[in-house]
Amino acid sequence: MSTLAFLLNQSVNALSQAALLFFLGVGLTLIFGIMRIVNFAHGTLYMLGAFVGYSAVRITGSYWGALVAAPLVVGLLGTAFEFGILRRLYRRDAHAFLMVTFGLALVTGEAVRLIWGSEALQVPAPALLSGVVFLLDEPFPVYRLFLAAAGAVMAFAIWQLLERTRLGLLIRATSQNAEMVHALGTDVNMIRSAVFGIGCGLAALGGVLAAPLVTASHGMAASAVIDAFVIVIIGGMGSFLGSLIGALLVAFVQVFGNYYYPDFALAFMYLLMLLVLVVRPGGLLGKEA
Amino acid sequence: MRVTSLLGPLALALLLAAPFGLPIFAMTLLTELVILGLFAMSLDLMVGYTRLVSFGHAAAYGLGAYASGYILLNSALPLPFAVLAAAILTGMIAIGVGWVCTLATGVSFSMLTLAFAQLLYAVSFKWTSVTGGSDGLAGIPRNPGPLGLEVLSTKNGFYYFALACLVGSFFLCRALVRSPFGAVLRGIRENEAKTLALGYNTRLYKITVVAIAYALGGLAGALYSPFAGFANTELLFWLVSGQVLIMVIVGGSGTLIGPILGATFFLTLEHQLSSYTEAWALFFGLTFIAFVLFAPEGIWGLAKRYLGQRAPEETEQAPAAITKAEAKPHG
Amino acid sequence: MTSTRSLSRRSVLAGAGAAVAAPSIWTSAQAQAGNTIKIGMPLALTGPLGSVGQQQKRGAEFHTKWINDRGGILGRKVELLIEDTVGNPATCVRKAQEMVERHDVRLFTGITLSSEALAIVPKLNEWNSIFISSDNGDGRLTAASLVPNFFRANTSGPMGTRAVSLYLRETTHKKFFALGLDYAWGHNSVQVFEEEIKRMGREFVGKVFAPTGTKDYSTYITRLRQSGADAVYLVLAGDDNNAFIAQAAQYQLASRMALLAEQLELSTMRAVGDACLGMIVSARYAFTIDNPKNKEFVELWKKEYDGLVPDQFEGEQWQCQQVFVAGITKAGSIEADKLRPALEDLTIDDIKGKVHMRKCDHQGVQQGFVVKASKREGFSHPVPEVIATLAADRVTPPCNKMTYDD
Repeated sequence: MSTLAFLLNQSVNALSQAALLFFLGVGLTLIFGIMRIVNFAHGTLYMLGAFVGYSAVRITGSYWGALVAAPLVVGLLGTAFEFGILRRLYRRDAHAFLMVTFGLALVTGEAVRLIWGSEALQVPAPALLSGVVFLLDEPFPVYRLFLAAAGAVMAFAIWQLLERTRLGLLIRATSQNAEMVHALGTDVNMIRSAVFGIGCGLAALGGVLAAPLVTASHGMAASAVIDAFVIVIIGGMGSFLGSLIGALLVAFVQVFGNYYYPDFALAFMYLLMLLVLVVRPGGLLGKEA
Repeated sequence: MRVTSLLGPLALALLLAAPFGLPIFAMTLLTELVILGLFAMSLDLMVGYTRLVSFGHAAAYGLGAYASGYILLNSALPLPFAVLAAAILTGMIAIGVGWVCTLATGVSFSMLTLAFAQLLYAVSFKWTSVTGGSDGLAGIPRNPGPLGLEVLSTKNGFYYFALACLVGSFFLCRALVRSPFGAVLRGIRENEAKTLALGYNTRLYKITVVAIAYALGGLAGALYSPFAGFANTELLFWLVSGQVLIMVIVGGSGTLIGPILGATFFLTLEHQLSSYTEAWALFFGLTFIAFVLFAPEGIWGLAKRYLGQRAPEETEQAPAAITKAEAKPHG
Repeated sequence: MTSTRSLSRRSVLAGAGAAVAAPSIWTSAQAQAGNTIKIGMPLALTGPLGSVGQQQKRGAEFHTKWINDRGGILGRKVELLIEDTVGNPATCVRKAQEMVERHDVRLFTGITLSSEALAIVPKLNEWNSIFISSDNGDGRLTAASLVPNFFRANTSGPMGTRAVSLYLRETTHKKFFALGLDYAWGHNSVQVFEEEIKRMGREFVGKVFAPTGTKDYSTYITRLRQSGADAVYLVLAGDDNNAFIAQAAQYQLASRMALLAEQLELSTMRAVGDACLGMIVSARYAFTIDNPKNKEFVELWKKEYDGLVPDQFEGEQWQCQQVFVAGITKAGSIEADKLRPALEDLTIDDIKGKVHMRKCDHQGVQQGFVVKASKREGFSHPVPEVIATLAADRVTPPCNKMTYDD
C-alpha cells in the first residue's frame, strides 16, 4: 500500500467515523443550546435507533425505510418525553435533568432488551452500498463512503435549517435569549419539544447508520454517550459548527492515533479534550465555559 | 429541630448496635453501604457546597482502592495505616487534578474531571505491574499488624472501622462547611464573580475542596478494596462516577447526610430489585424519574418534610439565583 | 400541590421504600428450604455481555430440569440461585456473598467474566465453597491464580488457540498476524498463538491489540492488509467480534487472507450473517459435534426450545453441570472437603467426549474442536461444521501453565 493510498484510505475512514460522531454530537449540542440540559440518555437513544432500524428493515424490507423510520420513531419518543416530563422541570436546576435522563437511559436500555432480546442483531447494508470501490488500487467499502457523504449532506441540511428557515431562526433566537423569544409571542415550549425531538432523532439516525458496521447491540449505548459529550465539549456547548469540528477532530485523532500508537487507543479522545479545554476552557467555539 | 436533633444520636446508636442484631449478610451489605455513603458524601462537598459537578469522582474511589490494595498486598503495613496512606495519596494527586480542572467552570469542569478519570481508567489497564492490568488486584488482605489491631480485620471489626471513618469524615465535613472556609465555598456556589471581587482567591478554595473531596472519596475506595478483597478497572469506569452523582442528587445535595441516604437507597434498591426481576433496570430507572417529579428535594428533604420541620441553614437547596445563572443565555 | 400529585408521590415513595426496607435482607436467613442441592450462579444477564450470561442460564436451567426429572442428585433436587451481576465484579462479589451468607450456597458456577471470577476465587476457601467454571477463559485461573476450590470444566482460552494452531500444522498458510482484545485473555491467547507459529517454523509478522468496546476496526484492518500476512488470528469476543467481522467483510478482507479465530458463537454468526462464512475457529462446543451423547442432547434441546440448537456456552454449561453431577455422586456430599477430592481425577464421558478433571491444576482435560462457519440446510445463518477434532492431551497445556512446550 503506497503512502498516498494509505493516507487517503485512513482519511476517508476518519470522515465516515466523523459522520457518525457528528450525528451524536449535533443532537446533544442543539439540545444543550436550547435547554441547557445534559442529556445522559443520548447514547441509549443512539442504540434505540439501531434496534428500531433493525425492525424497520424487517417490516419494510428496505434499509432506506429504516433510515427514515428510526429517526422518526425515536424523535417522536423524544418529543413525548419532553412534553410529558422534561417540561415540568425547566424551573429546576441542572441536577433534576441529570437524574431524569439517567432514569430515562436505564428505562430505555431495559426496554430494548425486553423487546429485542440480549443478542446483537444484524442490520446489513443495502445491496447498492455493499461493494467496494478502489481508492488508488486499495479496496474501500462503498458503505463507508456513503456514511461520509451522508454526514456532509446532513451537516449542510442542518446548517441550512438553522440559517434559512423560520424554525432555525427561532432555535437560534431561543438559544440566545429564551425570554425575549417568549415575550415576542412565540411558544418557547414548542421549540424545546421540536429541538429535543430533532436531537433524539439525529442520534437515532447515527445509530441506524452505524448498525451495518457494528450490528445493533447493547454495547452501543455506553460509549456513545461519552463520545457525544466529548465532541460537544471540544466544539463548545451549543455550537453547531463546534460539534462538526469536534467530530472531525476526534475521528481523525482516533483513526490515525490508533494506527501509530494502538496502546493509547483508550486515551486519545480524553487527551484531546484535556488539551482543548486547558487552552480554551469553553471549547473551540464556545463563548464561555 | 427537636425531632431531628435526636435523629443523629439515634441513628448512630443503631449503627453501633447493628452487629448485635443483624444477620451476617445484612452486615456485609451495611458495611458496603457505609463505604458508599462516605464516597457519596465526599462528592457532596464539591457538588452541593461549591457547585463543582464532578463527572469523574470514580477517579478518587479507584485511586484509593488501588493504592490501599497495592500497599496491603506488598507490605505488612497494618490496615488502618494503609487506608489512611491511600486516602492521603489520593488527596495529593487531586491537588494536581484540581489545579487543571479548575481552569474551566461549569460543564467544562465536569468534563475535565471525566477526562482525568478516564485517563486513569486507561492507565489501570496498562500499568500491569502495579494495577494487575485487566485482571486487577485480587486476594487483598486486611493486614492486622502488631499494634493489637487484629480486631479490625474481622467482619464486625472492619465494619466498626469503616463506620468510624464515615462518622469521623462526616464531622470533619460538617465542621468544614460551617466554618468561614465553608462560607466562602457557598459564596462560590452562589456567585463566584462576586466572591472573587470580595478578594477571595476562589480558585485556591476550589482546588482545596477538590483535594479534600478526593481524599475522602479515596478513603472510601481504600476501604472498599480490603472489604471486597479486590480492586479492578471497573472501579475507575465513568459509570461509577455517574452513579455516585445520582446518589448525591437523589439523597439531596448540599446536606452531607442526604448523599449517605442516597447511597443507601441506590445500592439497596438496585440489589433488591435485581433479585426480584431480570428487568430491574426498568423499575430502577422509573424510580429516579419519579423522584425528580415528586420529590425534588431528595430523600433527606423529604424525610425532614415528613418530620415537619424546615431545612437548617446549611442544607438549603441551590437558591433561585443559581438556577437563573445557569439559565443565563450564552453561546 | 394537588391531591393527585401527593398521592402519586406517596405511592411511588412507598413502593421504592418498600423495596429498600424489604425485610428479606435485614432479617435472618430463610428457613432451610428442605434438602435441595443449591447451585449459585451470579451471571451477567444484562449489559453488553448479557447474551453470554443468558446462554449460561439456559444451559443450567435445561440441565436442572432434566436431572430433577430423573430424581436429582443423591436423591436431592437441584435448585439454581441465579442473580444478575451486569458483568460488574463488585456486584458479583456482593451477590455471591449473599448466596453464601443468606442461602448457605456451597456450590458455584457460571460466573460470566474472568474479571468477576478472579475477584471471587480468593474467597472460596473462606466460603468453604466449590466453584466449577463453565466459561472463564483466562489461563491464569488454573495457573498463577489457582486456588484449591476452583475447577474449570470448560475449554480455556489457551486451549482454543492451541486447537487452531494444531490444525494449522496441516495447512499451507505461511505468514500470520494476530489481533486480540487488549486485556489478559487477548494477550494470553495471542502469546500462545505467536509461540505456536514460530515453533512450526512459519512467519509471525505482527500483532496488535484493540481495547474492548472498539467500534471502528478500519485502522486495524488497514494494518492487517499492510502486514502481508495470508492469515490472521482473531482473539475477540462479543460486540468486538461482531464489529470486526462485519467490517472486515465490507473490506472483502477474506479475499486477501484467511480469517482464523478463537471465538465464534452462534449468536455472532446470526448477528453478522454471511460475513463470517469460511472462518476457521476453535469451538469450545458446537451442536454439530459428532457423537451419540451430543446428538441426544441436541434433540432434547430442540424439543425444549422450539427447534433452536444449543449455542457454545449452553453446551459448555451442560457439560459443567454433568461434572457437578458426577462429582457430587462420587463424593456422596456437597461439602467442599469431600467434593474436592472426588472432583480431582474425575472423568466423565459426555457431549464433548471424555473430560478428565486432572488433579494437578483442576483443568478439565478434553478434546479440542476446530470448526468452519458454513451454510447448512434449514438454517438462515452460517453454522459451525466440525473440520478437526484434536486429542485432549495435545490441546491441554502442561499443569499450571498458560503456554505450551511442544
